[in-house]
Amino acid sequence: MSTKTPAAPADRQVQTASPRLPNPGSRKFFRTIEPYIWIAPSIILMAIFIVTPIFKVFQLSMNKVTRAGKLKGFNNFENFTTVIKDPSFALVLKNTILWTVAVVVLSTLLGFILALFLNNEFKGRKVARAIVVFPWATTLVIQASAWKFIVNTDYGTLNTLLMRMGIISAPMNWTSTPAAWFGWEIACGIFVTIPFVCFCVLSGLQSIDASYYEAATVDGAGYFQKLFKITLPLVKSSLTVSTVLNIIYVFNSFPIIWTMTKGDPANRTDTLVTYLYKLAFYNGKQGEASAVSVIGFIILLMCASVYMIYTLRKGDEDL
Amino acid sequence: MKKILAALLAAAMTLSLAACGGGNGGQSNTPPAGGSGTPSPAPAPSGDKASLNVIAAQYGDLTKDWWAKFESDFNSSHDNIDLKVEVVSWNDIYTVVNTRISNNAAPDILNIDVFADYQADDLLRPIKDFVSDETYAKFYPAFLEQSNIDGTIWAIPDLASARAMYYNADILEAAGAEVPTTWAELKTACEKIKAYDANIYPWGVDMTTDEGQACFAYYSWTNGGDFMDASGNWTLNSAENVEAVEYIVGLVKAGLTNSDPATETRYDLQELFAAGKLAMMIGPNQITSYVEGKDNPINFGIASIPANEGKSTSSVGVMDRFMVFDKEDTDDKVDAIKEFFDCFYEDKVYSDWVIMENFLPATSTGGEIMAAADPAAASWIEIVGSAKFYPTAQAKWADVKQGVIDVEQQALLGGNVKELLDGLQAKIAG
Amino acid sequence: MTQTVKKPVSVKKTVLRLLLYFVVLDVCIITLYPYFAMLCTALKSREEIFSAAGTVLPITALWSNFIDIWSRAPMAKYMLNSILIAGGSTIIAMLCGIPAAYALARMKFKGQTAFLGFVIVSQMFAPVVLLIGIYQVMQVLHLTDSILGLVFINAAFNQAFTIWLLRGTFMGISADMEQAATIDGCNRIQSMMKVLLPVAAPGIVTTLIFIFINAWNEYTVALCLISTDTLKPLTVGINIFNGYNIIEWQYLFAASIFAIIPVVILFMCIEKNLVSGLASGGVKG
Repeated sequence: MSTKTPAAPADRQVQTASPRLPNPGSRKFFRTIEPYIWIAPSIILMAIFIVTPIFKVFQLSMNKVTRAGKLKGFNNFENFTTVIKDPSFALVLKNTILWTVAVVVLSTLLGFILALFLNNEFKGRKVARAIVVFPWATTLVIQASAWKFIVNTDYGTLNTLLMRMGIISAPMNWTSTPAAWFGWEIACGIFVTIPFVCFCVLSGLQSIDASYYEAATVDGAGYFQKLFKITLPLVKSSLTVSTVLNIIYVFNSFPIIWTMTKGDPANRTDTLVTYLYKLAFYNGKQGEASAVSVIGFIILLMCASVYMIYTLRKGDEDL
Repeated sequence: MKKILAALLAAAMTLSLAACGGGNGGQSNTPPAGGSGTPSPAPAPSGDKASLNVIAAQYGDLTKDWWAKFESDFNSSHDNIDLKVEVVSWNDIYTVVNTRISNNAAPDILNIDVFADYQADDLLRPIKDFVSDETYAKFYPAFLEQSNIDGTIWAIPDLASARAMYYNADILEAAGAEVPTTWAELKTACEKIKAYDANIYPWGVDMTTDEGQACFAYYSWTNGGDFMDASGNWTLNSAENVEAVEYIVGLVKAGLTNSDPATETRYDLQELFAAGKLAMMIGPNQITSYVEGKDNPINFGIASIPANEGKSTSSVGVMDRFMVFDKEDTDDKVDAIKEFFDCFYEDKVYSDWVIMENFLPATSTGGEIMAAADPAAASWIEIVGSAKFYPTAQAKWADVKQGVIDVEQQALLGGNVKELLDGLQAKIAG
Repeated sequence: MTQTVKKPVSVKKTVLRLLLYFVVLDVCIITLYPYFAMLCTALKSREEIFSAAGTVLPITALWSNFIDIWSRAPMAKYMLNSILIAGGSTIIAMLCGIPAAYALARMKFKGQTAFLGFVIVSQMFAPVVLLIGIYQVMQVLHLTDSILGLVFINAAFNQAFTIWLLRGTFMGISADMEQAATIDGCNRIQSMMKVLLPVAAPGIVTTLIFIFINAWNEYTVALCLISTDTLKPLTVGINIFNGYNIIEWQYLFAASIFAIIPVVILFMCIEKNLVSGLASGGVKG
């Protein structure tokens, strides 16, 4: 959507505003602090309700923490070394990356395509759009329970349906291996993430002026040319935001895996969040759990900054 | 029978609760509170009410209503106490409790399964100070011993359950199999059932994060093994334990069990058993009423858990507890807590609760009432009396529990049981 | 794709139309399948759910399950709480987020990039991780067992999306009209309210839905903060059907289906704004 560098509109705004100022001195001071007043409520809200708890996590990760959650002093990063030394940690990390990449990439791709379809005028579009919202409007715990229920070998509705339709004759074990379980979890993750991407893209698509396409058509551009030359650049800003946030949300996603497998068997389907949840609330190791979350935070921070610097800078050059 | 009894007891409960609080202890079976304090004749409502926060575990869908009624009855008969009972589901109770404790917001009284962690942090008070002698004398001594650390009892049992083998008599008969008493017989029976109908799972196994430790106990204890020896040393990698895990993993690998023991919980197994899709499983006494509650109940029997050749069988007991958190209690508060326990363990109230939750009582007086009412309960009460319990008084129990579950699941994926248990032993004992 | 509508009917267009319907129909079927399964389960008796034979549709639809849940749990209360929490969070998140996004899009100030970065970084810890700290904050503010506490938490957790998406939307809209309004004597707040926000409606609606749905679905924090039954939101409240010995699938799913309805209704109501799009003049090239 953004086709201008961020600074430009602001500059102009400032120029037009200045001639009408009665007292340039105090006005100037006000103008300097004005933006901070505008962002203050948001900062206060986040500082109290997110930043303070984050400090608590760092504090816990550096301390020896008893099983019942009491702090017993700085312990020389022992929580971190214990966690990293655990052989299952590498496996969990690998799972987390696989989970995040698979869910984000596929849901972004599918969500984008779906948005292109839903952006067309057609009969029943309103209904179709409402249906697409369903997976998003369902609590993840319930959604995951439903999926677990559906793929169950013995009383799952998928087996029953396929058997009634005559496609299979005996119940299939859809989850015979840990990898199969993980596959289902990823599928469920994609399923619930598509609506989010789809509506982010749709809101971007809505704001594209039809005259661009008309002009391009007159110039003899084909569908894919228009897609790559007009649509993509124009929805890029909203797509970037949704992708960055998606990476974070999916990386930290908890209910799907927890409900379906609790990371079993033997950490084969664990991600960092389910792993640290078990550490914190099943094993009473809040110090180590906090260390895991700090490690996860650092990984996310690196990925997200690389991605954002890359796309934002590239975006600026293009414009 | 049970339902009528429950209804009668429920009616009696309100009466007893009222009586219990009124100070006219003579009318109910319970004398007024305070083996140590003075029998307070209906304390005058002072401006300050002693507020009492209780977190209770949600055992079933009636738990919440039962506690709500208890709370309002208790409060209306105790002007000087403001009781608040919060019922939390088992899925979430550790999250809720640990979050509160970390923030110094522990409840006054907690109903949960574990206690050693809290005791290790000096968060608990010796329970005897908060229970009247009258009530304290009701508990089975063996049960109280389960909450003993360094000679002090830190918690009182609220209820118990025991495990035994359930089998589908019709399937066994049709398959020509005997009710197994040994591991070898169990395997033979499983093979016969599988040969009879490949769509029926012969044996139910739960190795999930939920309750995989029970699986370890079932086979270790019936093979002469244990988590620790008599002198308190961990013995996780003993030859008996290795053999036990290898045996059950062998059954899974031979295709004689449910298909996915690492993600199928006891509840899944229970559903399969009640639907006639699973021939045998080890489970708690609640399965009886669960199966009988169905429209077309299966024909089932109950037997001891099969033991290895030459070893004796053992039941697995599970017990939950009440504990009191250390919070600079005033005398008022101590009395209020005593009053709470007196009312809760009042025989009619307590039996009503245990029957409603479908568990086994932890008090001898409650046991007598239930045994008299229901012969089936009597045999279960006997089983739980001889059952072995997990070493929950050990601070390392949480690690051990998670460790054996991990060993089982690794073994399912092809790991070497001996090496895995050696590794766990080194980690725990080292 | 929109532009093809204006062309005369052609074979290519018909094929494209068919493809469109085919894809949309498939997507709808796949999307609805879990709900179909949930609904069927919600209408069955316990016995039938686990019966050996297995049925797709319930033998006799037990609509009573849908009625039972209202007597088994204070569903209406839970639903009202959920609406209060989700609605309140949306309002607070918007009140804090719109000015911030506006400042980022229309003003130039030191620390602009840092603020944008901070907003993203604030999202990088899962709520599960932050529970202990959140509880501590709430204790200090005396908001532990209150709906207001959840409103603030949800609003805070949705700031990142609100600010980033609205900033993008605002930046995509030309400042010309606002300047015109300023010259006509409007101050900043007026020009934002009267000129910018109506044009930015689709972005705002998307953000609104997003916050509402996220807050509606929040589970972990509500679970730990709320201890009084009558203050619980639906997500936590329906746990009553998830007992120690039995999961009552039929009730759990029936309650879950109820929980979707308000969100879908809300969505249907404001979907129009999403479709109507921008006044073309407001879009900047």
